[in-house]
Amino acid sequence: MHCPEAALVSARVLAAEGAPATRSASGVERRPSAPRPPLCKRGSGSLLSGSPPTSRHLWIRIALFERQLAKIIEHLVNNANRYYERDALVADPDFGSILSSLLVGPCALEYSKAKAPACFWTDPPADELVQRHRMSAGTTTPPSVRRPILNFKRSLNASSDDGSSSNTGTGKTAGSSAKDYVESLHQNSTATLLYGKNNVRVQPKDVEEPMPGYLSLHQTAAGLVIKWTPNQLMNGYAESEGIDKRRTFALFSEQPRNRIAPTWTIRPTSLVAEGYRKAMRHSLLERAVQSPPRTPRRPLASTSTTSSDSSTMSVDCPPSAGLNGHPPLTPIPHQPVEQAASIELVCSTMRRQIISRAFYGWLAYCRHLSTVRTHLSGLVHPIIVPRENAEGGLTDERWLAMSDESGAIHDKDEVYRLVYYGGVQHDIRRHVWPYLLGYYEFGSTAEERAEQDAACRRQYETTMSEWLCVEAIVRQRDREATAASIARLTEASGKLKPTDNNDTSEVFEDDCSVISDNPPIVSPEPSENEQRRPDKPVLSRAPSIDEVDNIEMDSERDKETKQNGETENGDNRDVDVDSLKDLDENEDVHLKSVVDNPDMRRESIAEIKRLAEEIVQKGDGRGLLCSVDSAHVNGTGSDFRSSIDESGPSPHQQHTSVIITNPSVDLAAGGSPVSGGTTAQVSPARSPLGVVREESQSAGASFDTLEPADRNAQDNRSNCVSPASSNGGVYSNELVESFALNLHRIEKDVQRCDRNYPFFTDENLDKLRNIMCTYVWEHLETGYMQGMCDLAAPLLVMMREEAHAHALFNSLMRRATDNFPSGQAMDAHFADMRSLIQILDCELYELMHAHGDYTHFYFCYRWFLLDFKRELLYQDVFAAWELIWAARHVASEHMVLFIALALLETYRDVILANTMDFTDIIKFFNEMAERHDASAVLSLARDLVLQVQTLIENK
Amino acid sequence: MSSRKKALLKVIILGDSGVGKTSLMNQFVNKKFSNQYKATIGADFLTKEVIVDDRIVTMQIWDTAGQERFQSLGVAFYRGADCCVLVFDVTAPNTFKSLESWRDEFLIQASPRDPDNFPFVILGNKIDLDNRAVSAKRAQQWCQSKNDIPYFETSAKEAVNVELAFQTIARNALAQETEAELYNEFPDQIKLNANDNGRNRDGDNCAC
Repeated sequence: MHCPEAALVSARVLAAEGAPATRSASGVERRPSAPRPPLCKRGSGSLLSGSPPTSRHLWIRIALFERQLAKIIEHLVNNANRYYERDALVADPDFGSILSSLLVGPCALEYSKAKAPACFWTDPPADELVQRHRMSAGTTTPPSVRRPILNFKRSLNASSDDGSSSNTGTGKTAGSSAKDYVESLHQNSTATLLYGKNNVRVQPKDVEEPMPGYLSLHQTAAGLVIKWTPNQLMNGYAESEGIDKRRTFALFSEQPRNRIAPTWTIRPTSLVAEGYRKAMRHSLLERAVQSPPRTPRRPLASTSTTSSDSSTMSVDCPPSAGLNGHPPLTPIPHQPVEQAASIELVCSTMRRQIISRAFYGWLAYCRHLSTVRTHLSGLVHPIIVPRENAEGGLTDERWLAMSDESGAIHDKDEVYRLVYYGGVQHDIRRHVWPYLLGYYEFGSTAEERAEQDAACRRQYETTMSEWLCVEAIVRQRDREATAASIARLTEASGKLKPTDNNDTSEVFEDDCSVISDNPPIVSPEPSENEQRRPDKPVLSRAPSIDEVDNIEMDSERDKETKQNGETENGDNRDVDVDSLKDLDENEDVHLKSVVDNPDMRRESIAEIKRLAEEIVQKGDGRGLLCSVDSAHVNGTGSDFRSSIDESGPSPHQQHTSVIITNPSVDLAAGGSPVSGGTTAQVSPARSPLGVVREESQSAGASFDTLEPADRNAQDNRSNCVSPASSNGGVYSNELVESFALNLHRIEKDVQRCDRNYPFFTDENLDKLRNIMCTYVWEHLETGYMQGMCDLAAPLLVMMREEAHAHALFNSLMRRATDNFPSGQAMDAHFADMRSLIQILDCELYELMHAHGDYTHFYFCYRWFLLDFKRELLYQDVFAAWELIWAARHVASEHMVLFIALALLETYRDVILANTMDFTDIIKFFNEMAERHDASAVLSLARDLVLQVQTLIENK
Repeated sequence: MSSRKKALLKVIILGDSGVGKTSLMNQFVNKKFSNQYKATIGADFLTKEVIVDDRIVTMQIWDTAGQERFQSLGVAFYRGADCCVLVFDVTAPNTFKSLESWRDEFLIQASPRDPDNFPFVILGNKIDLDNRAVSAKRAQQWCQSKNDIPYFETSAKEAVNVELAFQTIARNALAQETEAELYNEFPDQIKLNANDNGRNRDGDNCAC
């Protein structure tokens, strides 16, 4: 006998095995060649013995997918004598048929749709979720134009409870909805059961005699709801008629936006005993008006139990098995009482109970809310700045109109207001941003600003010249280390004769800590090793972007130098770099650099850099690394001696903490004592292990600093410990190391910062790098932190000019530093978000609360750290940032919170509908990055600020 | 519930910034390499279903920020990890050197029940580059010294060994899961065993 289902399945199996990548034509998506999950270990399994063992059970899976498994098994059972031995399970008349009928259930399920809500880790991508939501909520308003958040009544996640309370007795006649309804009476996620009582007799209008029923008081997001349900319905019989006998009394809390004290109304949707209702309304109104909550609250522990115990009602009955083990739902009144008296008693009891419970609940909740509100009042400004005529934002014309003849802008409040409500026209952003960030003062004239710019540029370049010197040292060390490391590697592979007496088997050797792109750590090495260095292979390090750049720059600078320091601009050339490269008897290189004042031009910076590198390279050719051995160096102006040792820092020198800017530079050789500047001497006596090598002499270069370091001492911008001068300064070893660490990190991040954005060519990336390095040099104690690049990039895009962008970045970081791990702001943000959500969107809050992990709101981390830079496209980032900056002066110091909240609110329905947990939501927002409708989000954010302001105002 | 636990393997990728954590994850999950990745901020994860010993399991692979300063953030993500992947860059010895501290940090933060046998896997990434500076031998030696951690040399760019490495990761994570099953009934158990010692040591230093 032939089984058609088996034929179908085996054809599918063959197809799946033959072409693992193809999807079946039926549209059922399978995991090809996937073996059976554990389910298959049900005995009787291996039928198609022809299949390879790995996919032996594949047919079961496919049969299940095709919903044919039960039929196949049935076929097997019916024909067991053909396939099985006599004592096989399937062959047994009883067990066989049981088995086949057991499988009917599983086969009724749709397996191709593998997304049960429970398996959260196979959730569809964020896009799909949003799409789905749009489809399913096609009739509802799009998120951006939704009704205000405070008064929500959701249709999406609406339980039957919501439906029944708002439109009682309509629609729901199907058995399933009756069941839903009954379940809604229980404690559930959307409604809290505050009170429940069995066998409350009520006489509906259209019914002859009082009926016993279940009276319950629920607290939902919308307010209080009282329900009375006839016992017939409760017990599930008489479903057909039970539904419309259900009576629900809904107590709505209307929550108008502008009122802190909503009125409570009772809307009986069917008639009840009049006294009962009156009493209820009376007492509730009386108290509710005083201090009702804005939103319901999680139940107090004590209110969530049904209280059959404390009741003194005359109508009562022993609880017997009701519905699904829910005990207190029994229909039979054991003691029929007179109707009127019964109702009266019911009323008084109910009143007492409801009032006391509800009132204390409210009281506690109101206290809590008032605390939260007090807390929130710090988040927004108390005064609401009107929006009139600000929609257009700050346009070119308005901007021009605002500035007076000297180019000064005075009306800062108006600027802030316009920017807050309407943003800045793109063309004038670069003029407005410096004001918004507090770099330009309002009221400053055009000349003053130009002056400020010039000063800022000078300062920037001075700072740059400082760290460029250190960078040269770092580069040199890197090369050394790379060489060492590669040499070691080559030696290890036996290509070179093993001259290294260091133990390579040691896992973490010091030398491996210093290399190309990595934070080098200057590590003491036995100098014996290094003596044999001259034959080490040439460095093969791939030059980084900036290095290539530098090399190019160097050649340019060479020309410039030949022109004897002519600059392109020709103005303000304060620096005369006179470099002489003499080879004296000792083959020392004397460099002479005259720095008249710190106002260095870019050219001179490059010059210094070039010289430094030159020396470095010179040393490099001989495998030279400079080290300074000095016992007493205290920053500027003190004498110190440096011993130049070709072999690099020796163990002896480990404790010396000073290094000269330019390696292998002998400052003393040509140094003028008059300068009181840093003086270093080649000091053979101090070279490690007392070994004096020829090279140490011959490789020495002397750097003649006429300008002492302490001339620059007044330049105390730099709050790092550096006693640095712009040239020929002294840098402690720790400082060099710490800068090197930062430098490498910066380079790594700059290289991968927004490389898909056309602006960031190599040239502009180099600018970004300079900004970062300069900032870090000025803030070496905090150092570079990932994310800074992202914050600086839009500023550079907007300002184009390095020094300017750096100045703005400085202003920006004044606030943003706290968001980084070294600061405290992030935790505060998370806490504020919690409070805000609690106040503004309790439904979402409930969901988050249900998943405890939400407490930290990590999905917001990147938002706050980068001011949404990664969440939005560049154009939108500009707008968002302006909003944040302007909001400080208009509405809220913490605009980021409200933008975050707006983002969350935009997708709240998706989040709720999919009951996303901690991980889902992280994934969701990561996938949604740069896909948001920014203008909608920002305007929602403004609305939210207004809401909170209104809330506070009406306190 | 327990089947659900078994089916989801949480894997954490750690390592210095720029060693290729994001690239490895994306190569494994999406079979793609892009040179457009930015520095990871915060944390992200991808999921992928893999078949391990006839079982389908879902790997939830967490990618983290590389700068050690952001590690305080990691605690929330480390919790419940089934396997930890430590990545270094074979062209950058420093990244290799910090493996030790990444490992220690993870054990402290995640505080797995049995720290000595918690599954780690080491990946030496970027072997497609020719300026290699950490020899396979050295890496291997270190891995052996640390309780025989499996070591793979990978290239996220050219998809070398990535699949193999993650198969091993899944297998080891699954083995760990199976052992852990008994205890997982009570996720909030209070641990009073050996791994607390490590914590206490730290706590003593702090003394605040």
